[in-house]
Amino acid sequence: MSRLRLSRWFVAVPMAVLALATIYPLLFTANVAMKTRREYILDRFSLTSTLHWENLSTAWNSVGMARYFLNSVIVVTCAVALLLLIGSMAGFALSQLRFRGSSALFLVCLAALFIPFQVIMVPLARIMADTGLIDTYPGLILAYVAQFLPFTVFLMTSYYRAVPAEIIDAARIDGNTVYGVYRRIMLPIGTPALLSVGILNALFCWNDVLISLLMMPSADHRTLMVGVTSLRGQYSDDIPTFAAGVLIAAVPVLVTYLFLQRQIADGVTAGATKG
Amino acid sequence: MKQRALWSAVLVAGLALAGCGSASESDPPSGGSSGKLVVWDWKSGDASAASYIEKAKADFAKKHSGVTVEFVAQPFEQYYTLLGAAIQAGKGPDVMLFNGGGQIRDRVDALLPLDEYVGDDKQRLAGWEAFTKDSKTYAAPVTLQGHPIYYNKALYKKAGLDPERPAATWDEFVANCAAITKATRAKCFAQGNKEGIGIQFFLSGFGSGILSPQEYDDWIAGKRNWSSPAVKRVFALWKEVNDKGMNNDGANSTAMFNDAFAVFQSSKASHVTGLMSDIGHWKDFAEFLEADNVGVMKSPVVTAGATPSLPFDGGIGYAVAKWTKDPKVAADLVRSLTSTDALKSFYADAGAIAADSTIDVSSAGPAVATIVSEIDGGKPALHVALSSKTIDLMGRLSQQLLSGSVTVDKAVQQLAASDQAG
Amino acid sequence: MPLGSSSPVRPAAEAGRADGATTGQPVGEPSSATSSRRARDGRRAERLAPYVLVAPAVLIIVVLRLWPLVVGVNFSFTGDGERNGTTVGLDNYADLFDDPLFRTALRNVGLLVLLLPIAVAIPGLIATFIYLRVPGHRVFRSVYFFPAVLSPVIVGAIFNLLLAYDGPLNTVLGGAGLGPVDWLGDPDVAIFAVVGVHIWATFGMALVVFLAGFATLDSALLDAARVDGASLPQTLWHVIIPGLSRTIQFVFVTTMIGMLTSMFGLLYIMTSGGPEGSTYLPEYYIWFQQGQMNRPALASAASTALFLIMLVVGLLQISVLRRAGRES
Repeated sequence: MSRLRLSRWFVAVPMAVLALATIYPLLFTANVAMKTRREYILDRFSLTSTLHWENLSTAWNSVGMARYFLNSVIVVTCAVALLLLIGSMAGFALSQLRFRGSSALFLVCLAALFIPFQVIMVPLARIMADTGLIDTYPGLILAYVAQFLPFTVFLMTSYYRAVPAEIIDAARIDGNTVYGVYRRIMLPIGTPALLSVGILNALFCWNDVLISLLMMPSADHRTLMVGVTSLRGQYSDDIPTFAAGVLIAAVPVLVTYLFLQRQIADGVTAGATKG
Repeated sequence: MKQRALWSAVLVAGLALAGCGSASESDPPSGGSSGKLVVWDWKSGDASAASYIEKAKADFAKKHSGVTVEFVAQPFEQYYTLLGAAIQAGKGPDVMLFNGGGQIRDRVDALLPLDEYVGDDKQRLAGWEAFTKDSKTYAAPVTLQGHPIYYNKALYKKAGLDPERPAATWDEFVANCAAITKATRAKCFAQGNKEGIGIQFFLSGFGSGILSPQEYDDWIAGKRNWSSPAVKRVFALWKEVNDKGMNNDGANSTAMFNDAFAVFQSSKASHVTGLMSDIGHWKDFAEFLEADNVGVMKSPVVTAGATPSLPFDGGIGYAVAKWTKDPKVAADLVRSLTSTDALKSFYADAGAIAADSTIDVSSAGPAVATIVSEIDGGKPALHVALSSKTIDLMGRLSQQLLSGSVTVDKAVQQLAASDQAG
Repeated sequence: MPLGSSSPVRPAAEAGRADGATTGQPVGEPSSATSSRRARDGRRAERLAPYVLVAPAVLIIVVLRLWPLVVGVNFSFTGDGERNGTTVGLDNYADLFDDPLFRTALRNVGLLVLLLPIAVAIPGLIATFIYLRVPGHRVFRSVYFFPAVLSPVIVGAIFNLLLAYDGPLNTVLGGAGLGPVDWLGDPDVAIFAVVGVHIWATFGMALVVFLAGFATLDSALLDAARVDGASLPQTLWHVIIPGLSRTIQFVFVTTMIGMLTSMFGLLYIMTSGGPEGSTYLPEYYIWFQQGQMNRPALASAASTALFLIMLVVGLLQISVLRRAGRES
């Protein structure tokens, strides 16, 4: 791998400081989650002396978190799978294939990116209600796909635009159909981007509260983050239980990210085999 | 082969989606098909409200055993957004929780007047005015909410003051605070105005000691003279207290909920304008200061001739939506949610002052006893009578008053204009 | 780079199919008529392929985003309260521009756009250093993403404590001889404090996108730069930034959208739009009018205004950056 003669340690020190600054809040949250409500009110910052694991079980049991956890896993997995599939297909077509209306369609996708959720909130809910999709998994999945598809298409298109045409041409000369090029070339080459946009979409869907509340109003269909947010009532000062809930919600995404970011980085080095 | 792998992936995704679809359960609930009532609130998720909900459900089941009741707890910050969306769509829950005052009065078009159903409860429960508009009642009160002034008896003792005799006049009050600060370094007030709520509590907590009885009643009735000397005094005092260092540092960036209360709870301030129910109240404070050390006082007299009283209103109440299929059944649910037994649980577990005046609270400590004894002579809180828009403007102006970017005269001018328009 | 021919199907593909090498066609076509029909069908399928690929995305976007947008915008021309359901033309928009709170929100949007380059440069630089294998890069790569995972509510609660007037940050500043700053209570400072926290919480996401973008960077150019003895700033300017121009474009646009549509949680927890309304952003204003003030049509007008602002600024950014990318 190429290296630049840069004073690497000089850079590493501020980066290490930044790393501490980014770990600290997570540790702080964990510390708070181990306190009792009373301990927290009296002293926010001190290191907790006894570990109150029961906050985790309180958070888990109080609002039926197991059910919400399952709902979130189902919905997010399906939504991300669809987003990656549809987004990569569209990204490929818009970036590499010349066809009538491609720039117009790209502009349409781009414009959709700028739509704030609030302006379409009620009409979307009504469409879902009228088609019977409200309070169903497919309804929420579709809502997430719709919400994050412009982002995904934009990213995949930008990414695929940088793929040299020669590779595509070579594949066509070899006799591949367009679909074949998609399967055999674009998907493997797009792996770093797919992984990145996949983890980001997963994060967005997992942490979403408002869309979930609108599309799945009934109590046992809720998603995890909604459950965690309800741990904080209008004035609730039980921050430790809330912090415990936040940790429970954060762990799956963290684990997934830690697992995937190696793939992303490896994909980066693997992708550098062109040119 | 990659090709096969990819197609299997697509197949799996498709199956997963189909599977995901079939995994969803019963039909989507519309606003209460017969046999089911949907209730929205932000309380039913709290552990402390659990037995209240159970008792209410049991009471309701006695009258309508065939009807299921589903409680849906929403996160509070999105509650009114979701409710607004439901109202726009014309369908939503059958019964919903409301804060008294502006929030419910703004939305009465979507609600059913309940006068014909709750007549029997009018005597037993208090706090109806906060849920009334144009002489029609739109919700039944569950708790009462008010703004007593709490003080820390232990700090009084440390400063050599008599904990059973808090100050009766403003000058006495300032002197007492100074003595406490000297002896214990505790500030006078725990104040949090980040959300702009500090001024609301100040206005209502001290209003009865600043406005004359007539002016107070006029204010509640809707006749408000914002440039009267007494009203200006309220805002001048608000600023003066901060300028003199009687508040904790950084009042504009301290959140009332719950940082200001934490200041009082950790004895860093000797007084706080708190609440009667839910939080920032006698139960909360007793947990940290011991029940015997929590004192409640009426506002000291600022303007001669004022008659201080406890400010309180209906706090939260349940209302019925216009689109509900069977109004009588929904109203009965509301009545169950305000039944004596259920409210007794709410009081005991969550420490709410229930709207039911027949509940015995003598065992919960001197603070509660004082508060409840003052309910009869109490009056509605000054800020609850204002429109949401004016309250919001007042919050922002109060921050500007503290930072010095607006004068009292300019502030009351703007408030008068907003009040007029609203 | 899109293929140069006017039709997506090149004659060479048919020649390839006749060879039958990689497409698995049966050897020995029955008759020339069938094979030419199959070839014609194949040609049509090929011609339709881009449309098929793009169809699901376009369908979903049009039905579930664009159509609701039209309905939502239409709603913004109706009234609130007593005028519920009636058409009021541009009254809501007039109300918007009369409202000092909304004007403050617009000013803050301008501020955010000015701060955008910083918000993009930070993850960009960090991604570069990670790519160049600074010591500890594997740890950094993992750890920088952590804040992005936490819900804004908890992030806001944490920073409320850290930035409190009597909190640790001011204590540290006091120790260094500087006075305490009322980070969340001073109207001139608060917006910067909140934006700072937002950037801190979300730079990890942009980092992930940049890291993926590095995959398309031609390493031969980097090697050439090293051989030529280029310094880091030179390499950045001449190799990395041009090579990543599309990624940079993307991050600019999405960071702006992120700032304008997902800071609500932080604002709600840290400042409630204050002090004195100085940290209002259109997103907060919309929530406020919708829920607290019960004026959904006005909120709809504000969201439409936000859409137009983002659309205009976003498209401007793309064209400016595209031109800058072409020049270097």
